[in-house]
Amino acid sequence: MGLTGLEIFKQLPKTNCKDCGHPTCLAFAMAMAAGKAGLDQCPHVSEAAKEALGAASAPPVALVKIGTGEKELTLGNETVLFRHDKRFEHPTGIAITVSDTAGEEEIAARVGQINKLVFDRVGQLHSVNLVAVTNDSGDADKFAAAVKVVAENTAYPLILITEDTAAMEKALEVVGSKKPLLCGATAANYEGMTALAKKYEAPMVVKGADLNGLAELVEKVVALGYKQLILDSGAREVHKVLADQTQIRRQALKRFRPFGYPTITFVTNEDPIQAVADATVYICKYAGIVVLQTADPADILSLITLRLNIYTDPQKPIAVESKIYEIGNPGPDSPVYITTNFSLTYFCVAGDVEASRVPGYILPVDTDGISVLTGWAAGKFTAEKIAEMLKNSGIAEKVSHRKVIIPGGVAVLSGKLQELSGWEVLVGPRESAGIPSFLKQRWNA
Amino acid sequence: MILIGERINGMFKDIREAILNKDPEPVRYWAKRQYENCAAYLDINTGPTVDPKDQPAVMEWLVKVAQETVPLPCCIDSTNPEAIEAGLAVHKGKAMINSTSADQWKMDIYFPMAKKYNAAIIGLAMNEKGVPKSAADRVALAMEIVVNADAHGIPMEDLYIDPLMLPCNVAQDHGPEVLEAIRQIKTLAAPPPRTTLGLSNSSQRCTNRHLINRTFLIMCMAAGLDSAIADLEDQELLDAVAAANILLNKDIYCDSFLKTFRQR
Repeated sequence: MGLTGLEIFKQLPKTNCKDCGHPTCLAFAMAMAAGKAGLDQCPHVSEAAKEALGAASAPPVALVKIGTGEKELTLGNETVLFRHDKRFEHPTGIAITVSDTAGEEEIAARVGQINKLVFDRVGQLHSVNLVAVTNDSGDADKFAAAVKVVAENTAYPLILITEDTAAMEKALEVVGSKKPLLCGATAANYEGMTALAKKYEAPMVVKGADLNGLAELVEKVVALGYKQLILDSGAREVHKVLADQTQIRRQALKRFRPFGYPTITFVTNEDPIQAVADATVYICKYAGIVVLQTADPADILSLITLRLNIYTDPQKPIAVESKIYEIGNPGPDSPVYITTNFSLTYFCVAGDVEASRVPGYILPVDTDGISVLTGWAAGKFTAEKIAEMLKNSGIAEKVSHRKVIIPGGVAVLSGKLQELSGWEVLVGPRESAGIPSFLKQRWNA
Repeated sequence: MILIGERINGMFKDIREAILNKDPEPVRYWAKRQYENCAAYLDINTGPTVDPKDQPAVMEWLVKVAQETVPLPCCIDSTNPEAIEAGLAVHKGKAMINSTSADQWKMDIYFPMAKKYNAAIIGLAMNEKGVPKSAADRVALAMEIVVNADAHGIPMEDLYIDPLMLPCNVAQDHGPEVLEAIRQIKTLAAPPPRTTLGLSNSSQRCTNRHLINRTFLIMCMAAGLDSAIADLEDQELLDAVAAANILLNKDIYCDSFLKTFRQR
């Protein structure tokens, strides 16, 4: 989004000197807003104004990268408060903690557990993203040693959690080249911590005591010339985190520059169920990173699933994989249903087939995730495509009969499909809710 | 779309006579009637026949009668600053001032007034030189108004810029310029100032006035118009606005959207 005339005008000297070639500062501001003039045409504009105008044309939430290589995590560039307005861009990074108080083997074992937090969702692999090493020992050498063991055992980028610059320095000597996230800078240590972040060009968490403290501290760090930042308002109770996350995103979208960075949140509740519930709030409400203490797959799976759902693009239809789905325990004499791979359509049919209490096979044809009638109208749900799926999916080996049920809405396809496929085509009801009674009347009848 | 009912205006004979006879009934009738026809504000104008020195008292009376009848704010419409202030002083809730132009001396009177009474204010994109013709000139005047409003601490949500439409039979070339001006005015500040239009002006002394008004209003809504001062007796106008709200994704669609629009 470009700058508005008013924003530009406020930064101009308001001398109306005409040196820029425009009759007034206001006219110049409007020419600039319209892209017909550049700031360099005004010889009297201050450095502060140049900075403010330059910053205002940057995206509302800066892009920040953690780690290197394949598992590098990208955060930021968000532009909305609500996903239905556009989409959420970069999924929340999930981080699992490892304490430096544990022994070497214990640390390696826990990292091994974390590495296994990879799940298959709708045909894709989704996993946690970061390992957070915490300096609970308070000892710089122990911390560096723990960081070394973690780095040797995982490909995930690291978060180094210590407010002790000496400990951070030692850890960075081990993993600095891998661009870990420094966590981080506080009002007490920000000069030393920023120097380290700059030296290793690694992103850094800025932690304020509250939102005001955070904004002040970010400005100080930015004044030192560093902008690869992640924000922590200091809140740990879920209601305060929710309020702060909302303010940070809202103000960032209003171009309040100190809050124009991704955020980090910490789940501290000791009750594991509550901890997962808290993390769901953070994933839904703008957290760039959520740090968890649990490495239990049962806890992580639900969070991975939620993250996948929240960060899908609402403007694109969600598709299921185009393959044979077995409902119940179907056998060689079970019915075969054709539908499309639009997830809403597929799950409607699946639910109603289940309700019929007759096990069956569902074949969602790949229509790029659009519904039966939309797919038919767009030429993506044709007799040819259905015949191809019947031939190539392997369904013929699974059933002894050669009967297939198509949606009633596309009854018109039945003749051609029968001809092309050699299967007997039964035209099902228009609504999948009619499947149970259709079966009673037409299947095995 | 914020609809402002135009009917309580001394230019109309029944209101003029009501003012002369101190008869509140016609004012009450139109307040109620416009309230039922989706008005968000009632425009209140004493009309030019009231002597300037009597205008403050008449404005005060009209505002009181209107607000005693229906729970609506008023759009206090006068060229007389004293009449406007008299209306604001007795007004309940958040009023709207109609209007200032881009003339500095007017903005210096009306913006402090809007601030003092926490009122919204309409800014006409014109000055003593008259109504500009091109979109660019309208937008330049709108910018003057935006900058002055901002300097007085008026939030952009409370500033309604009127790009001024002229009758299409005599000033036909203004139509596209007004549409373009509305688009550009919405980009002057963030959040943007609001926009409004004296709709009935577009069809002065034309035939098929309702058709012209309605068509232009919908075109303006597509360009980003937020509000209009209009004849709300025109049910087809209300239907068209309801439909435009749906097509602009401002209201969530339902089959009974015409009815829902009227229920507020």
